[in-house]
Amino acid sequence: MKINKKLLSVLLFVITFVGATSYLNVSAQDNPISNEQINRIYTNCTLTKNTLNQIHASDALLRVNMGQIYESMSNKLMTRFNNRVANNNFDNKSLKSVTDSYNSTLDTFRTDYKRYEEHLTAAINIDCKKQPVSFYDAISSARSDRGRVHNDIVKINQFIDQYQLAVGEFEKNYIDIAGGAKN
Amino acid sequence: MEKSNISTENHEYSFIEKHSFFIFIALSTFIAAFVVVVSMIMYNGSGAAQLDLSRPGYVSVRSQAKTDSTDFQNYSSTGKIEKSDINEFKTLYDKQAQRVKVVDAFGGDPLSPEALNISAPTE
Repeated sequence: MKINKKLLSVLLFVITFVGATSYLNVSAQDNPISNEQINRIYTNCTLTKNTLNQIHASDALLRVNMGQIYESMSNKLMTRFNNRVANNNFDNKSLKSVTDSYNSTLDTFRTDYKRYEEHLTAAINIDCKKQPVSFYDAISSARSDRGRVHNDIVKINQFIDQYQLAVGEFEKNYIDIAGGAKN
Repeated sequence: MEKSNISTENHEYSFIEKHSFFIFIALSTFIAAFVVVVSMIMYNGSGAAQLDLSRPGYVSVRSQAKTDSTDFQNYSSTGKIEKSDINEFKTLYDKQAQRVKVVDAFGGDPLSPEALNISAPTE
């Protein structure tokens, strides 16, 4: 019984220590800004908001213009070429596989951009003079979302390159088959 | 004839009959509000809101949106495949791939505390 009590007290101590440490960590992550930064946010509030509004508008334009090209690459080029290859009874598996990955990444890009835009709008709507810490946190959140959107774009570009390579491979095979048929 | 007149005079109107016009207006307003709420949910949920440059915040960039897709040629999905058809596709594809790669979309870090001038002052 005595051992059990000791064990219990040690266990309680460990739980309290771990709990307190994790709470302190979370608090530090929630509020990583100094008083100087808070003052800076307060002073530059209007300027920062204007900059955010400009980024919001220019990113929306980029999303619309680039989004059109990305979708057209899939709908007007990749899918049509894949269908034509399949209609002529050639193997289009590798081409189709890259197109599927491209489309899937395009879907992720759409979702990630939506989340980014929502978080940036939330940051813009926060009163930075009254809630500088929340404003800073909202910007940090939008910043990481924007990074995610950029990663999606990098992946999309990689798939564009991969499709180019797949077309090259197809061309090689086609020449081999066409050459073999002539001989 | 007399009998029918008497029956009309004695008829008691129900609540719905008495307030039919008011109920009609209220019901129409409710249906309109419901449809608006549903369409707003769809507008925001589908991601259409993010592409809608007619929103007030996008006035400055609205004119720069590309509205015609004439520079993006369709590749025909029907017909035979010859070497020239593959080359035609490669030309079309390479042209668009170049257009995409020229832009470092969403690159840079304009939301960093340094870029926004809200970083901790360096000593």
